[in-house]
Amino acid sequence: MNTKRISRILRKDIAVGPRSPLLLFVVLMPLIMTLALQLVFGDLFVPRPTLVVLDQGVSQIGDMIGERAGIEVFEAKDLVELKRLVAEHEFDAGLVLANGFDQALKEGRRPLLELYISGESYAVNRLVLSITTLDIIREVEGRTPPVRVVVNDLGSNDPIPMATRLTPLVAMFAFIMAGLFVPASSIVDERERKTITAVLASPTTIGEFLIAKSALGVLFSFVMAVATLALNNALTGNLGALLLVLAVSAVFWSLLGLVVGLLAGNSQTLFAIVKGSGIFLAGPAIFYLFPDWPQWIAKVFPTFWAIDPLWRILADGASLSDIFLSLIVVFALILGLILVVRLLAKRMLTKLASV
Amino acid sequence: MNSPVIDVRSISYAYGKQKAVDGISFSIAKGEVFGFLGPNGAGKSTTIKMLTGQLIPQSGEISILGHLVQGHSKEVHQLMGVCFEEKNLYPQMSGEENLSFFAGLFGIKRPDIMGLLRQVDLHDRAKDRVSNYSKGMRQRLMIARALINNPEVLFLDEPTDGLDPVSAQTIRNLIKRKAADGTAVLLTTHGMLEADQLSDRVAFINEGRLYAVDTPENLKLKHGTRTATVRLRRNGTIVEEVVPLDATSSGEALKLAVGSGEVLTIHTQEASLEDIFIKMTGRTL
Repeated sequence: MNTKRISRILRKDIAVGPRSPLLLFVVLMPLIMTLALQLVFGDLFVPRPTLVVLDQGVSQIGDMIGERAGIEVFEAKDLVELKRLVAEHEFDAGLVLANGFDQALKEGRRPLLELYISGESYAVNRLVLSITTLDIIREVEGRTPPVRVVVNDLGSNDPIPMATRLTPLVAMFAFIMAGLFVPASSIVDERERKTITAVLASPTTIGEFLIAKSALGVLFSFVMAVATLALNNALTGNLGALLLVLAVSAVFWSLLGLVVGLLAGNSQTLFAIVKGSGIFLAGPAIFYLFPDWPQWIAKVFPTFWAIDPLWRILADGASLSDIFLSLIVVFALILGLILVVRLLAKRMLTKLASV
Repeated sequence: MNSPVIDVRSISYAYGKQKAVDGISFSIAKGEVFGFLGPNGAGKSTTIKMLTGQLIPQSGEISILGHLVQGHSKEVHQLMGVCFEEKNLYPQMSGEENLSFFAGLFGIKRPDIMGLLRQVDLHDRAKDRVSNYSKGMRQRLMIARALINNPEVLFLDEPTDGLDPVSAQTIRNLIKRKAADGTAVLLTTHGMLEADQLSDRVAFINEGRLYAVDTPENLKLKHGTRTATVRLRRNGTIVEEVVPLDATSSGEALKLAVGSGEVLTIHTQEASLEDIFIKMTGRTL
């Protein structure tokens, strides 16, 4: 086993990758899917409320709003700047606190509060800013709010939001596309162009060739999975365990990619295999979306074991010891896949020689 | 002949019940160009696949520079260069990148890629993607790739296929130079003239068996018939007479023709390798 040759093939594939429209599609798809799902279910594109404040005296209100979580406050130099920032939609709203505003409040007078609203601000942000401002005004005034608000969550007994439920599906999509499809299509491409014959006529062995292709899948899928989790704000909690699980899953999926690549003799067969087996590959992740379904069915899918540790870290904050059993199953599956790859590699060499 | 670089001993291979190669033996010496000739399906490709380690002979042995090909493919591949019939290059990469990649696989630290590209007249297109190369340019790059490791054994499958006459001659000269430097060359070609010009010895293969292994000259002497074609103007019309030169009566026949004063031209002709192949195997190439 020569690591220099493996690295040479890997570097070639990485260098050639951006020149292949198929590979670009494979890499971009999980990101596009993440962004699409975030648009529908997530909050990636709903920015935090922003407020620009002009304090013409020494009011506490601006500082008090800034201390509230989730609101971004900026202090304007003068009214012209405040109006410009709001008119150019750089801030959701602009608040003008006249000189002696706080004192007037405390004395029970009704001072003028000017609020400028950006025409392009989200309704939700306007609501948050208005309620927060009124709430703080009452506080400065020294009065207690006339009502006490208690929020009751109806329509769901599950505290896990849909965005979290979608994360395994998005991660699995990244694994299927980058971990499975990248090495599989790379092998098929080399077979179709017969460049594999040229590579194997050098001192490169079939083992070195396949390790390089597997490494390509591991690298791509790991990076893609981390990127999609980051976009989903899911790179939190037990980060060490999460990265370990992603690395093990990347190995599992890339080996599955080798199996598919060795089985498929050409691009048409490869697409047929991936399309035909899509439901079996991504099936377990769909079960996370529907907690009412009998969850034991998901365990029948081998790919369940590669995604479940990730789910448990994301949803339950599980530690390595909690997911130990699942990881053992994944390692066993990896060993099984290595044996299958060895058998299929021999079959492919026989086929290549007999063409 | 020097000690053999390639030594093939009674190798056989069958695809199922179909025998592709049936117990053939030959050897190739250092610096020798060995032409391997036969029609499609004769067993040429299967033999080359066994020589290059893609197939394992079902019986017999192949050794290259003392290494048995079976079980020592890495050592053997380090010594050989292969130019395949298919243009199996990476089209998304430039000519230079293709050669650099394969140099890396052979563990060559400072390959003279531009020098190699210059030898095949591609140095000014080194940075261009192979997908933009013409068929002839790709073929020349294939030859350059086969030479990247300065091999001691070179397998060339139809090396001048698709090349214009000038490029073909460039490649033939390159093959001659490599052979002169001591490289053993196994050449398969459909071009009989090319095989005749380049090969020190040729082998005829048909239905998996070798029919002859000898120098082109010896084959022609042993199996061919030399003739003279005499064109005469007789009674106002032009006629041609073919006089076999090896027959005992040929001298007399030519003397009579010349003496008649009717001779326009006399052309001598020797048997081609193709004629001999057809005569020996009953098949065309």
